[in-house]
Amino acid sequence: MVRRVVLAVLVIVALALLTISFRSPTSGVLHDAQSYGSDVLRPFQVAAVRVARPFRDGYDYLDSLATAKSRNAKLEKMVRDYRSQALLNASAVQQNNDLKRLLRFESGPSYPQDFRAVNTSVLSFPSGTFTEQIVIDAGTSSGIHVNTPIVSADGLVGKVTNAGHSTSVVMLLTDPDSAVPARDLKTHVSGLIRHGQGGTLILDRVSKDQVVNKGDWIITRGTVDRRFPDEYPYGIPIGRVVAVGTSDIASFLTVQVQPLANIDSLDAVAALVPKHPRAKP
Amino acid sequence: MTIADGVKAAALLFVATIAQVSIFSQVHVFGGVPQLVLVTLVSVALLRGAVVGALAGFFAGLVVDTATLGQLGLTSLVLTVSGYWIGRYGETTGRERGHAPFLSVAVVTFLYAFGILLVTFMLGERAPAGPEMRSLLPTIAMNLILTAPTYALVRVLLRPRERADYATEVQLLG
Repeated sequence: MVRRVVLAVLVIVALALLTISFRSPTSGVLHDAQSYGSDVLRPFQVAAVRVARPFRDGYDYLDSLATAKSRNAKLEKMVRDYRSQALLNASAVQQNNDLKRLLRFESGPSYPQDFRAVNTSVLSFPSGTFTEQIVIDAGTSSGIHVNTPIVSADGLVGKVTNAGHSTSVVMLLTDPDSAVPARDLKTHVSGLIRHGQGGTLILDRVSKDQVVNKGDWIITRGTVDRRFPDEYPYGIPIGRVVAVGTSDIASFLTVQVQPLANIDSLDAVAALVPKHPRAKP
Repeated sequence: MTIADGVKAAALLFVATIAQVSIFSQVHVFGGVPQLVLVTLVSVALLRGAVVGALAGFFAGLVVDTATLGQLGLTSLVLTVSGYWIGRYGETTGRERGHAPFLSVAVVTFLYAFGILLVTFMLGERAPAGPEMRSLLPTIAMNLILTAPTYALVRVLLRPRERADYATEVQLLG
């Protein structure tokens, strides 16, 4: 009898918590309590991450040794290509700045100069198969709020979906609910970056008459219409096109994109907080 | 169940939960993720019965949901029922059987996945069964690997109860 009473009470309490939490997931008394609870647990999580880091680094080191030679040759070729491209880009940037000045061109905040990077570590990786999220060690006290873009040294990682006082939940690009307006840097074709198979992404909603080439860079599109500001500023690198396909029955191209950020192995990320709070991306 | 036992069980589950959300959740093998919390909960519930199992499940779920800023109550609900069920099994037919921890872990891993899927679906959220089912076998395999050391450690900390402490409604002979 006692067993059943205990079980019934615990189930009712869990259901009550679930109901309240479901109705107001990002605000309210319960969210605040959960946020403070998360603050209390944070030192333990940081300690656990630090304890595990040497083992992870060791594994990553051994893993990278196996592919070091072929990777080195590939990187050397990339450096040669980028060096020549960088010279052309520097000239184009100078010309762009001159033309903007001549035209008195006005624009919203641009990445990265109008954003302050809040560098932070990754605390945990919720392992549910329905969602791809991480918890980072920074929250509203650092200026982070819901929809703040999160990047790594390589490119876009995702955006904040729930901000606590000193921790935040980040929905990764590979989450099935993630959709990021993006464009092809070379051909200017726009689409939506969504999750794809096997940790890749797809550039969705690209009609068949448009051109996307293998190897093209995909970046965030930014705000197109000031009435509907985008959550991501223009120009954050997302990934590189690895395959473009089409079929007779599909309305859109199938553009497969390899993310630049190593989403499976994130140690540290940066939250992009606007330098001027009133500015919108 | 003494206070010292309760403190030990709570400490064990706390450490397992922190390790789960910070370390084990990054380990993906063939899509599966080892679930140290579940294995520790099964060990505690088998050794201490249904009431402790349910309380331990509730506590572990609360810590998981708080640490990950997840939907509060979701993990608690499923782990409470899992802990209670395994506790009952431990009090009755599962006691003193070598295969009980392994059988319990395999069954609870399946029921836990199904439970999370069901509650998520009932909340009206996206709950695709395909990926969950595909990752189930690797997850069970990894949980079974964790079972022996975890159960041995928990058994050292929480000594098995005397025969008189067990439930007497059901007794299997032979």
